[in-house]
Amino acid sequence: MKISIIGAGEIGEHLASLFSSEKRDVILMDSDSDIVSRISSSYDLMAIRGNATSISDLQNAQVADADLVIAVTNVDEVNMLACMISKRLGAKKTIARIRNLEYSDKNSPVSPQEIGVDVVISPETSIASDIFQLVKRAAARDVATLAEGRLQLLGLRINPDSPIANNTLVNFANSVSDYDFRIVAIQRGVRTLIPNGESKLMKNDNIFALLETRNVNDFIKRIGYKRNSIRNIMIAGGGIVGKNVLDLIMNDTEHWDVKLIDPDKVRCLEIASKYKRPLVLHGSSNDPNLLASEGIMDMDVFISVTEDEESNIVNCLLAKHLGVKKTIALVSKPTYIPLSQTIGLDSAVNMKLSTAIKIHQYVLKGDIYSVSTLYGLSAELLELGVHEKSKFLGKPIRKLSLPKGCVIGAIIRNNEIEIATGDSVILAEDHLFVFSFSDDIDSVTEYFK
Amino acid sequence: MISELIIRQVSRTINWKGIIGVLGAFTFLIGVTLLLPVIIALHFEEDSWRGFLISAAIAIGVGAVMYAAFKPDKEVQLRDGFILVTVTWFFLSLFGALPYYIDGTLPGYTDAFFETISGLTTTGATILGGTTASGVVNPDIETMPKSILFWRSMTHWIGGMGFIVLSIAILPLLGTGGMQLFSAESSLMSEDKITPRFKETARFLWFIYVGLTIIHFFTLWVHPSVDWFSALNHAFSTLATGGFSTLNDSVGGFESAYIDVVITLFMFLAGVNFVLYLRMVRGKFSLVRSNRELQFYTLFTLAFILLISASLWLTNSYSIADALRYGAFQTLAILTTTGYGTDDYLLWNSLPLALLAVLFFTGASTGSTSGGIKMVRWFIIFKDILLELKQRVHPSAILPLRVGDSVLKSTQVRTILAFLMFYILIFVAGTIFMTALGFDIESALGASIACLGNIGPAFGSFGPVENYAEIPAVGKWVLSFLMLLGRLELFTVLVLFTPAFWKK
Repeated sequence: MKISIIGAGEIGEHLASLFSSEKRDVILMDSDSDIVSRISSSYDLMAIRGNATSISDLQNAQVADADLVIAVTNVDEVNMLACMISKRLGAKKTIARIRNLEYSDKNSPVSPQEIGVDVVISPETSIASDIFQLVKRAAARDVATLAEGRLQLLGLRINPDSPIANNTLVNFANSVSDYDFRIVAIQRGVRTLIPNGESKLMKNDNIFALLETRNVNDFIKRIGYKRNSIRNIMIAGGGIVGKNVLDLIMNDTEHWDVKLIDPDKVRCLEIASKYKRPLVLHGSSNDPNLLASEGIMDMDVFISVTEDEESNIVNCLLAKHLGVKKTIALVSKPTYIPLSQTIGLDSAVNMKLSTAIKIHQYVLKGDIYSVSTLYGLSAELLELGVHEKSKFLGKPIRKLSLPKGCVIGAIIRNNEIEIATGDSVILAEDHLFVFSFSDDIDSVTEYFK
Repeated sequence: MISELIIRQVSRTINWKGIIGVLGAFTFLIGVTLLLPVIIALHFEEDSWRGFLISAAIAIGVGAVMYAAFKPDKEVQLRDGFILVTVTWFFLSLFGALPYYIDGTLPGYTDAFFETISGLTTTGATILGGTTASGVVNPDIETMPKSILFWRSMTHWIGGMGFIVLSIAILPLLGTGGMQLFSAESSLMSEDKITPRFKETARFLWFIYVGLTIIHFFTLWVHPSVDWFSALNHAFSTLATGGFSTLNDSVGGFESAYIDVVITLFMFLAGVNFVLYLRMVRGKFSLVRSNRELQFYTLFTLAFILLISASLWLTNSYSIADALRYGAFQTLAILTTTGYGTDDYLLWNSLPLALLAVLFFTGASTGSTSGGIKMVRWFIIFKDILLELKQRVHPSAILPLRVGDSVLKSTQVRTILAFLMFYILIFVAGTIFMTALGFDIESALGASIACLGNIGPAFGSFGPVENYAEIPAVGKWVLSFLMLLGRLELFTVLVLFTPAFWKK
């Protein structure tokens, strides 16, 4: 599979390294020759220097016979034009990073498809909605929303005083009679296990549970968390991500009290002019005096989304130290993610990872409809289609010899959700939600092909 | 002719030729309007037609000569606009005063000028029915020829008409006046601003103005005790928020609750921004309903009607019906800077009087014929105070001031605060000047604010049943200047007194 990536920014480089490590043909183009030479010396790929809107340069990047062209420069318009040209030159599929959400709107006079963009990605938007989900499910450390919002995958910590600590999964499942749920993974220390019925839940475990959205509140209560009581939110950083998060919070039906801190006065004024309710503070988010005078102790959630990932981590640690219940940090180095859990941060979200995984689904073979990221562990939740000729039709799941590192979490049949149990039977035309470790994803997709 | 008044960027030199030419055109126009009272005089078989005809001839002659001699070839520029606007109001008052003087109705030209500028600035302060400092006795209102009374009301109406266009279309270009705050508000300016074509905008606004005047005329005329003449004069006066009446006892002379209610209502309507009527005609009701100034104006008016009526009922032992009738009327008369009277408020107890005194400093909406500080400025000042308090609690917070959905620039807020301070300073200076002429403090305070705010009746010697006749000539000229200052929203006039303005 041949992939051309236009623009070697943070995301472009991350994608390139990811795909080249998967042994795919990667051609990376950027206008900066220093970046190009650095990348070609550090990864197994072809890096060329070129202008993203130049037809001859795009031809040099072999977009004409590429299976996938990913335009991720910093400029929306350049990405659109690069995709448009590539598509005309013969690229099979194009993905553009478009930050301006107007184009994705249903009522937009120009749809991305019309100008040769098959898929629009907006890392800042998707990361913001990830953060927003975490805010809405205050207890959860990880949330992925699936099946048009009807299904959720929650990552929850088992606190020492939780009623289900030291219980086996079978016992816990039997105690919940009115709905099904599926615990697809347990993270214990640095290890992640795929549990069976006899697995025991220990205190401080992180469990990943798949269940219908309408049962989420009850489930969180059973794990031992009190009802969602988020009122006060503080956001550090009014950049694109911060603004997108604020936008989601303001447009939600629930009423939240939001304070946003940014060191840039112009940006502050812009945000304060746009929104009536949030209090916009001009200052540094790691200034303890400012945080204290603005009542950090009363905050339920602290979200740090500044451009500097190290300060996001420090900000969140500071907030945690000052007594904030829940902290969310935006970090861009994937290596920081396991670290952040070790040092006690609640949630870390990662733009590169989120984008990479979003794009990944277009690269993977088979009928994959969506892929959701779990930041806390390197695993993914795939939505797969089932073919008529599949070898496992009509058998209960417990009889299947699934590849290692994967669990079938839920089945969607005729638009009805069924949480998978050992007795569930897979039929043709079903959609499956399959939990899989990232390392095993190829064998999993191969199996379900 | 007004379409020639296209004001562009600052030019290096003042285009005197253009200014005098345009001024000539306006003078010509006032000459033409002076022909209307001739018809009234002939209808009522009064001798005053001769005075009007002579005045008209002088104005038309002078205007034509000025226009022809200084045919404005270049466009009038921004800086010329300041001079033109100020001088026009003054010049038209000079010519408009002629009929009173030529006819001999008013013995002194100063009094005639005072009465005219009071009319054209829609103030409504009168010198009729009083004895001047030099001992001349001015006739009282009801003994005046009807044609003169008609001209008196007409000066209001013309002044109101001119001011609507001035405030909505011209002052914003000069960067003064309250309407420029609207440029921040929603789509008003881009869409209705109100149509960049000046001529069309003016025609639309006047159409509404004339329309409301006609409706008001009929609502008055249907009452048996009101003849067409007083109905017309009061319609002119109300829509212009002027205050001249054809009766010695002002509107109170009708002794009709119906008339009181109708005029109360139309005073309120005259205090609404005319741009909002334009929007209503165009069917944009949501833009009207969401207008913050209109909301504030309505609530403020209702609150003061209730407060004043309740205090009249409680402290002055009025019946509830009377308290509401006179309380509401007087609230609107002062709030909209009209200045009619149905009740001598100086006989009220201190509480209702103090409440009424507050209204001397408010004024109604921008873009209406009303004078004063205006609602939108107070609205912004109140918001600024609240934000200032909030800033104490959150020192680092960025707190933009919003009016509706739009955010004001800090320079706009500063302009408003400067306007308020300036207004108060001029009011104080006017007061001190009046005390220097020997008036008591209450009368001096009243005269100063009533003229600066284009209201009319004041306190003490200048109460609603008194008049301004007894003031010495110099005092009348200074008060005339205050009226002009208030009408042209201070900065337009005062900028002419800064050296920087005249520097090349």
